[in-house]
Amino acid sequence: MEGKVGIGLRRDIADEIIDSHILTPDFLEFAPENWMGIGGYWNRIRQKAVDRYPVTCHGLSLSLGSAEELDWKFIGELKNFLDENRVEIFSEHLSYTKSRNAHLYDLLPIPFRKDAVDHVVDRIRQVQDFLERPLAIENVSYYTPVAAEMTEIEFVNEIVERADCKLLLDVNNVYVNAFNHKYDAHAFIDSLPLDRVAYIHMAGHQKVEPDLIIDTHGQPIIDPVYELFEWTIRKMDPVPVLLERDYNFDELEQIQSEILQLKSIIKKQWKVPYEA
Amino acid sequence: MKLSEDTARIQDILGDYCRTGEGEQIPGIIPGRVNHYRRLVYNVIRSNMDRAFPITLAALGEEEWDQLVQEFFSKGLPQTPQIWKLPYEFYNYHLMKETGIRIQKPYLEDLLYFEWIEIEVHTMPDKPFPEYLSSGNIFMDRLALNPEFEMIRLNYPVHMHPAAAAADMKGDYFVLIFRVPDTGNVKFLNLSGIHTYILARLMEEDLPLKDLKGDIAQTAGIESIKYLDDALEKFIGDLIDKRLILGYLKE
Repeated sequence: MEGKVGIGLRRDIADEIIDSHILTPDFLEFAPENWMGIGGYWNRIRQKAVDRYPVTCHGLSLSLGSAEELDWKFIGELKNFLDENRVEIFSEHLSYTKSRNAHLYDLLPIPFRKDAVDHVVDRIRQVQDFLERPLAIENVSYYTPVAAEMTEIEFVNEIVERADCKLLLDVNNVYVNAFNHKYDAHAFIDSLPLDRVAYIHMAGHQKVEPDLIIDTHGQPIIDPVYELFEWTIRKMDPVPVLLERDYNFDELEQIQSEILQLKSIIKKQWKVPYEA
Repeated sequence: MKLSEDTARIQDILGDYCRTGEGEQIPGIIPGRVNHYRRLVYNVIRSNMDRAFPITLAALGEEEWDQLVQEFFSKGLPQTPQIWKLPYEFYNYHLMKETGIRIQKPYLEDLLYFEWIEIEVHTMPDKPFPEYLSSGNIFMDRLALNPEFEMIRLNYPVHMHPAAAAADMKGDYFVLIFRVPDTGNVKFLNLSGIHTYILARLMEEDLPLKDLKGDIAQTAGIESIKYLDDALEKFIGDLIDKRLILGYLKE
């Protein structure tokens, strides 16, 4: 899948992805939580998707940063799902989604602290050992630091190195965080261990205040994010690239044009033989 | 656990703030930004509940519905890692609460339950289907039932009438909710007492209809064999058309 462009399999566009030719991704990404244990119509769609495309999975509920014990029952079911669907890459977020032993279903920022590094490293290692596959950890967007004692780049790098895991580089998140926290996106990417990047995410965002961008996955990718993507991939070997879109599916042709633009950039920088 | 008590406490403060909008000051945050987390988390819960319970939302109206969702959001402490199962926790949470809305709207429990069961039947893991033939004799052959169904009892007919009207029609209502094999669509049937009895016997016992006819006649108080046969033929034929009965078991 190196140098290929995929899209998330959302239920709103599942039929179009399976049955029409408007969207032409090379692979599909599942949020496993949304498909595990499901039968009926959606199970058939999942099976068709797996039969037709290579598959990656992007988890939502491991909650690597939280204080609660890892949910081993869930992780066991997850392992079965990844195996059954021949999933090539499994990624999760560097965040927490549980507190008070209950789910919040969104990504909260882990305090950039040494004890949090130790905690997350330990949990990533446990999950990787159990799943018998590497985990790619995503740099998440965040809107405020929380009780930070180190920088974001120090936090991410120490975790990736000590956990010996892969990195899911979300280029849009770097852009969003650089804007929101006033740092240099290029310098941030230059400081990452790019040889550990196994996967890239690209997405749109929304500026909600003059000094705040929210990572929405609902808008088209803007040119500065394409430029940051092109600048980044020049520095690294080919990996799969995913277009994240969670809603606003009215104009599939526009989403397809984003897929083609990503392929065009990839073809230029990675010499991947696309018919773009 | 390698997370310090202090870091764990700070994470819980942020989690609590997201749920309730209240709590002590979180150290090191940018003022005015943490509220976006509360908004985003609530939007996830609210949109999921809106999709799961459209009839309840319409019946209650925006204000009362939002009260129910906010109550669950702040105190429900959901346990499922799979958000599509969250409507079940929402239903269960309100089942346990004697809130003002539930007291004023006695049909609410049934309505939430009915809407959840529709989701459950639509998404339930695939079940093994029996081997069956398309042609046979409805009395002599054992019938092959579609295994993907739920049969529920309601106190209010929220599956047949608008909620406000259903509120005045308290009684015993039996509903069979099933998944159509070819499409995966969910359909439901309102069942009379005797139809519920017939289906329950067919589900529980591996017998052809001819062996159950005596009990059915006695239960229904039917003396005319012809009348009973005609009624059964019509009922079973309808279930075959609807694909709740697939056909006749291969012997």
